[in-house]
Amino acid sequence: MTSVGDRAEAWRRRAMSLLLWLLYIFLYAPILYVIYASFSVDIVWPFPPSFTTDAYAELFDNALYADALANSLLIGLGSGAVSTLLATAGVIGVLRYPSRHRGLILIAFLAPLFVAELLIGISSLAFNARLLGLPGNLFSAIAANAVEGTAFAFLIILAQLVRYDWQMDDAAMVFGAAPVRCFWEVTLPTIWPSLLGAFLISFILAFNNLEISFYNLGAIPTLPSVAWGSLRFGLGPELFALAALTNGLVFVLFAVMYVLMRTGIVRFGYRGG
Amino acid sequence: MAGADLKTASLSLQSVSRHFGPIRAVDGIDLDIGQDEFFSLLGPSGSGKTTLLRIIAGLERPSAGRVRVAGQDVTELPPYKRRIGMVFQNFLLFPHKTVAENIVFPLRMQNVARAARDERLRWAMKLLRLEGLAARYPNELSGGQQQRVSLARGLIARPAMLLLDEPLANLDRELRAEMEVEIRRYQKELNIPFVYVTHNQEEALTMSDRIAVMRGGVFEQVGPRDDVYRRPKTEFVATFVGQSNRLSGFVETVKNGAVAFAWQGHTLHVPHQGDIAAGDKAQFLIKYEDIEVAGAAGKGRSDHRSGNSLEGRLRDIIFKGQTANYIVSLANGAELIASASSRDHKVGIGEAVSLRWPETSGMCFRS
Repeated sequence: MTSVGDRAEAWRRRAMSLLLWLLYIFLYAPILYVIYASFSVDIVWPFPPSFTTDAYAELFDNALYADALANSLLIGLGSGAVSTLLATAGVIGVLRYPSRHRGLILIAFLAPLFVAELLIGISSLAFNARLLGLPGNLFSAIAANAVEGTAFAFLIILAQLVRYDWQMDDAAMVFGAAPVRCFWEVTLPTIWPSLLGAFLISFILAFNNLEISFYNLGAIPTLPSVAWGSLRFGLGPELFALAALTNGLVFVLFAVMYVLMRTGIVRFGYRGG
Repeated sequence: MAGADLKTASLSLQSVSRHFGPIRAVDGIDLDIGQDEFFSLLGPSGSGKTTLLRIIAGLERPSAGRVRVAGQDVTELPPYKRRIGMVFQNFLLFPHKTVAENIVFPLRMQNVARAARDERLRWAMKLLRLEGLAARYPNELSGGQQQRVSLARGLIARPAMLLLDEPLANLDRELRAEMEVEIRRYQKELNIPFVYVTHNQEEALTMSDRIAVMRGGVFEQVGPRDDVYRRPKTEFVATFVGQSNRLSGFVETVKNGAVAFAWQGHTLHVPHQGDIAAGDKAQFLIKYEDIEVAGAAGKGRSDHRSGNSLEGRLRDIIFKGQTANYIVSLANGAELIASASSRDHKVGIGEAVSLRWPETSGMCFRS
């Protein structure tokens, strides 16, 4: 009896792990393939393997990509900073000062998540250029990207800060800390890891974004827009290198965060129990 | 040296109220607390005692009334300008700061010079026996140590007064008993008022000079702890403070402030509180330890003419350590509990006993 049950259990486990591996392949095969191909001599059919870094040389030789990288970094950093700032203020407001309209406020903050990026791009173009008469530039691209970034950052910070004990701020205030000092001395040192997380996510969103930036930038190149543009000439090897590097950058960012958290350098809330 | 510059400190509340919509969390409280007092706000949860404490601290704004600390009207002042110390139930130590950083936090906020800060830190660490823990983080401390750090932080800045919000609720029983004695000692040494919020009547009785029993946002009784314990003003206070037997009956006669109380065919002579008249339904509450258990052998010398006496049978003895509860079944089926030293077992279980108490014990309230 038991042996039949054990065998069934073993099969179940095997099926589950097979499913898990299929899922991983589904998620990561394209990314791993691009990285592999970017180092290959023949990127169209990179089998059997033979390696070269020509694609990277081509990428770095092209000055347009350097410009585009600088612009994308600026948009990413700017939008990340704006998003984190607004989202932090919003979350603290929602959690600290209970309101009957809390549900509405939450929806108002999160709604941009459900609007297509394309539409955010078009509407901020229409609003900035037509109504306000602003020229398309990096600032309007940062602002437009921050619309979506704020919503994401809000979600991330909210999920973390519901665990924060605001009585901690009460204690700080009783002991003489005015609100601003209280934030710097007590709140921020405790919650900064979640702010960093929100910043990284909104940075990456804006850095990688094509549609929103495209409408607000006109001729100013960003990495996604240059990659998109060069597609007209087919899948060049430098695009493989670009894809590999961008994925690599994101991977490194999250690896660093993971290590920080595992080693306990970054810890949210109370240390231990 | 600890409290030399605090001689004038005291607290005065004038018809302080806090309403949340239709809920009157605190309803017209008047209170004066002296410089050297250990004062407890005792009440069940939801009685408004924590709200009142938060109003004193400035964390909650009163809907009406004034708050004065050391003669100064602080009603409009934010908490960080009141110079009050506070100890919280869940300690609320800053998790990212060491013990020393936590303790000197109030001094840093007041921009006290480093040398003076260090001196005060040494004083506080010594007072609370925290030597050697300065570099630890809160999560590396035991509950008792965390509470001591929390006390040190509350006291280091020579506050005008210390507020304590159920500070012992999260500690185990043994530690609690030890801290009760210590906290009272600090109050007497430092000579500043302590306002202590608790739902635990034992804590309040152990530590306080005066106790306010709170319910529904108002004071049921304010007075020295002996008064609150021995002479409860309301039935609620009699029930909430100490352990009492409750007898439901009615008033036969009222003469010279003494009530003849009819209970299940017996007539008991008891003191009373408040308006009461012959024929009123009433409750008589008497603390366990006010009833004396005697063996039926003593029945012969029933010269207790001035007292009350009931006959019954000892059903069980509940051993409590220093004391024991004697559960006595009466002929009418009711059970009364008497508490006495657990050492002198004058009677055995199942034996006939008589219960006695003087006419001055217990308290009768109209129900």
